[in-house]
Amino acid sequence: MSEAAASAPVCGDQHCITCGDDGDPMTVVRVDAERGLALCTDESGARSTVETALVEPVGPGDRLLVHAGTAIARLVKEEPE
Amino acid sequence: MKYVDEFRDAELGRALAGEILSLVEPGRHYKVMEVCGGHTHSIYKYGVDDLLPANVELVHGPGCPVCVIPMGRVDDGIALAHNEGVIFTCFGDMMRVPGSNGSLLDAKADGADIRMVYSPLDALRIAKQNPEREVVFFAIGFETTAPSTALTLKRARAEGVQNFSCVCSHVTIVPPLRALLESPDLRLDGFIGPGHVSTIVGARPFEFIPADYGKPVAIAGFEPLDILQAILMVLRQLAEGRCEVENQYKRVVPYEGNLRALEVMAEVFELRPHFEWRGLGFISHSGLKISDAYAELDAERRFSVPGVRVADPKACQCGEVLKGVIKPWECKVFGTACTPERPIGTCMVSSEGACAAYYNYGRFAREREVV
Repeated sequence: MSEAAASAPVCGDQHCITCGDDGDPMTVVRVDAERGLALCTDESGARSTVETALVEPVGPGDRLLVHAGTAIARLVKEEPE
Repeated sequence: MKYVDEFRDAELGRALAGEILSLVEPGRHYKVMEVCGGHTHSIYKYGVDDLLPANVELVHGPGCPVCVIPMGRVDDGIALAHNEGVIFTCFGDMMRVPGSNGSLLDAKADGADIRMVYSPLDALRIAKQNPEREVVFFAIGFETTAPSTALTLKRARAEGVQNFSCVCSHVTIVPPLRALLESPDLRLDGFIGPGHVSTIVGARPFEFIPADYGKPVAIAGFEPLDILQAILMVLRQLAEGRCEVENQYKRVVPYEGNLRALEVMAEVFELRPHFEWRGLGFISHSGLKISDAYAELDAERRFSVPGVRVADPKACQCGEVLKGVIKPWECKVFGTACTPERPIGTCMVSSEGACAAYYNYGRFAREREVV
């Protein structure tokens, strides 16, 4: 394998959010209902555009579980038993 | 962090570990498979296995989407990326998976225009920004990721994006589980079911495991308390002589799954008759391809791909690791010739791969004593 491969981006402490079975809790900031997209922010404050077709309708303040740029579920508060 | 900190509480963790200890029979060896690579990662990141009695063994399953991609599919991607005018996009981990003659990252170093994206939507955006180029997205992942690809293909059609297509290497979770359960060299007592796959498919598809094979299943979240609680559920079922599918991850997993996601997947994809899994061989109806209705968005039809089957490297024992037959450190090349920086096998590539999890969290060689 080349030197380029050796210096490839490596997922560190966190899962690789791109291809694993991972989900990021995010909060909706703004909704573009016409295009089925929402601007969301994660816990660190980073913002990204999220596909919301699977969990619509959404509104600002909603908490979503986001995987690979798509919201796959709404988050419902639950305490561990 | 809301929804997270509650599930990392050390006191609650110790209490769950105590309950687990009270349930196990001394002298009996328990083998519980965590199906999902995300669970494998969490178990070693948080040291969950250190809280378990020595006779409870966690076996790592085939649920890492990168780890199960065979070398031939990587070669197909590289061949496609070398087409004149193509921008090839894929998830980060996929770039490091070795093919028979280097990885996508090596191909990038050789001049191919290969770009890492965080979502299929990002790939579509690149297509819209580069209308004179062909943009191909290399789609991998289980049912968690497949809806995202399906929605992007629908969006590409709706927005009239002509220069976007997708190589579909999506896989489904149930067929490999059935193949594992049929495997003669593997004896398992129960399963920790995949959390986010179940968000999409629901709990119902796993009911064949208790019904046909008499094994308990607990679908689990990814925080340490989620996993401990799921282990407790499995052991409690065993202690009480029950076997059923229990849902520990109710906060995001509905019993029936996400029906909209299942609909969009059914519209855009169809099952392949066979799909090759690294280390597991060909498994019937375990892979998805783009349906005829979306043929114009299928890169495998738009471009010619070699489609050649390539045998895994002889030194690599990813197959045995994926089946849970051996521990990563029992592989001959683990931590020596094969490291996350220079992987030979796919299980060392992704952070969700069992070998990478062992390596990154210092489990180079350890046999736990059996009670």
